[in-house]
Amino acid sequence: MENNYEILVVDDDREDHLILSEYFRDIGIENRVHYVENGKYALEYMEKIALDNKLPRLVILDLNMPIMNGTQTLLHMKQSFRLKNVPVIIFSTSENETEKRKCLSLGAVDYLVKPVSYNEGLLMVNKFRSFLE
Amino acid sequence: MKEIVKVKLENEMDLILAHKRAMKLCELTGFSLINQTSIATAVSEIARCAIEHGQNAILLLGIESGVTKKFLKASIRDTIDFTQRAGEACSYAKRLVDDIEIVRSGKDIQINLKQQLNFGGTITDSKIESFIGYFKNEPPLSAYDELRRKNLLLQDLAEKIRDSENDYRILTDSLPLMMFSVNNRGVITYTNKWLQDFLGTVPKELNSNAWQNFLHPSDYSAFGKEITASVQRQSPFNGQYRFKEKATGNFIWHMFSAIPLKNEKEIVTRWIGFIVDISAQKQVDQTLKDNKELKEIQDQLFNNQEELQRKVVELNRSNYELEQFAHLASHDLQEPLRKLFFYSDVLKRKFSDKIDEAGVGILNNMTAAAGRMKELINDLLSYSQLQKQQIVFEDVDLNDTISDIIKDLDLTIKEKNAVVKFAEMPNVRGNPLRLRQLFINLISNSLKYSKKDVAPQIEITSETDGGNYYIRVKDNGIGFEEQYSERIFGLFERLHTRNEFPGTGIGLSICKRIAELHQGKISATSKVGEYSIFSIELPVVGKKETVEAD
Repeated sequence: MENNYEILVVDDDREDHLILSEYFRDIGIENRVHYVENGKYALEYMEKIALDNKLPRLVILDLNMPIMNGTQTLLHMKQSFRLKNVPVIIFSTSENETEKRKCLSLGAVDYLVKPVSYNEGLLMVNKFRSFLE
Repeated sequence: MKEIVKVKLENEMDLILAHKRAMKLCELTGFSLINQTSIATAVSEIARCAIEHGQNAILLLGIESGVTKKFLKASIRDTIDFTQRAGEACSYAKRLVDDIEIVRSGKDIQINLKQQLNFGGTITDSKIESFIGYFKNEPPLSAYDELRRKNLLLQDLAEKIRDSENDYRILTDSLPLMMFSVNNRGVITYTNKWLQDFLGTVPKELNSNAWQNFLHPSDYSAFGKEITASVQRQSPFNGQYRFKEKATGNFIWHMFSAIPLKNEKEIVTRWIGFIVDISAQKQVDQTLKDNKELKEIQDQLFNNQEELQRKVVELNRSNYELEQFAHLASHDLQEPLRKLFFYSDVLKRKFSDKIDEAGVGILNNMTAAAGRMKELINDLLSYSQLQKQQIVFEDVDLNDTISDIIKDLDLTIKEKNAVVKFAEMPNVRGNPLRLRQLFINLISNSLKYSKKDVAPQIEITSETDGGNYYIRVKDNGIGFEEQYSERIFGLFERLHTRNEFPGTGIGLSICKRIAELHQGKISATSKVGEYSIFSIELPVVGKKETVEAD
């Protein structure tokens, strides 16, 4: 089962896990998503499944996290031979322009500010789904 | 000639002495009685003549050594020429002695009588010494002779004293210090040459002018007091004063010492004084003192710098912590707020069938309140980021910046029927994002604080004096009272209630901070109900590529 997870959500906010899982259920892909709480777990998880050549097709990465934050995680991924090609979308509360530019320059494919309305969230989740096609 | 005995020729009594001494020396040197008489007679003849016609005549008896022979010699001398009246005496004497000669020199005139010694070889130097001894210890020939001898002795002593005094004078005159002596009536009786040269005065003048003319004006009163006290105590006195050097007119530091000299009854008979140049020492002292002060000031400066350094470090840390706090607080505040928005939206959307109209109203109020909080947090966040970030400077064309802003505000401008005009704007060194933020805040304010029924007119102009650009944003809005022109730039300062004009009170603080980051200034003037003018001053050339915000 584990090997079927195609989206990896990296976020310390359990509430956001719930909100996202609601959305994923709404569009019917809830079983293809795995959740971890910080960058360290994310890297460990990905290194493990990489051995079976089953990397996620998208990483949704929060920035503000304990132990290892989003930028550090992104940096590690881009420096890792196995992980550098996995697409990463930053998913953060921060609207800071500098932070956004930094993440994009590090190789994130997009930078999304967490939604404040249901419709905004729906648009984002649909964007996530497009990576599975 | 080796002198053996001397006789002063003043009167008849001296003539007798002259005769007797001549007789005696002839006897001692081995002449026969006839020869003794002849020689003594010849000496007497000339001596008589000298007594009669001379003034300070003396007779010297002695032995003269020739190449092979020795002579007894009698020399009658005077400072004035008595020989012209001595012709007869000389011709008489000529018959009595071997030789007679008249010698004139610069200081006196002499008639010398000579008689060859019969046994010259026996008259050795030690013999001559014994003759000298004989005449010295010879019992007085008479009371007059005794008196005469004492007198001679006294004269000798006086001469010696004069010589000695002369030696001392030469010594004191050649010493590089001033010396003087004062008698017990306070009259200066002696000054050495150094003093006379230095002060340019002689003892007499010094007495009449006292010391006032030679002392520095600010030293004189202390000097006077000390010296009076010292005279009353009759004890030595030392002091440092500035004396005026005649040659240069400069005042030079001297050590003045006066010492009382007492007689055997312990009564002060006179004072002697020394004045020694101590300017070199003074200079050294002063230099040492200056150095010490300098050192102290240096230490103080060093301490202050250390203190300052410590304060700067403390301030930086405190600033950093504050920034961290502001950043984290605003970031962490955003998160629950976002959820609040999100959940109320989901509530309205998914549960609309279960909430009535009043409930939706409450939900809307809740979202509006959350909206204000979000705005506040965003403003705080951007303000705290202004403190923190290193900003990159580049050439910025303010014409582009302002055109872009007008485009972005197009909707509001149309809504308010506003007119925004701007003249030719300069190129400045700065951070494009920050400058944009500055002008967008000012222009938005002008649009926001406009009068209700009057279309906003906003004019942006620029001037320069070569050193700075002065950019002015003028509107025809509601204005504010002049007394608030400083306060409006303070953080959270608001002049209106939220019902009148929404806002966080951070916008102008951001403008001020941005102007300062560009080494510039911002100020405002206004007339209530007529206009507001915001003036931004920016340097023409920003030399630094980047500025570390403090």
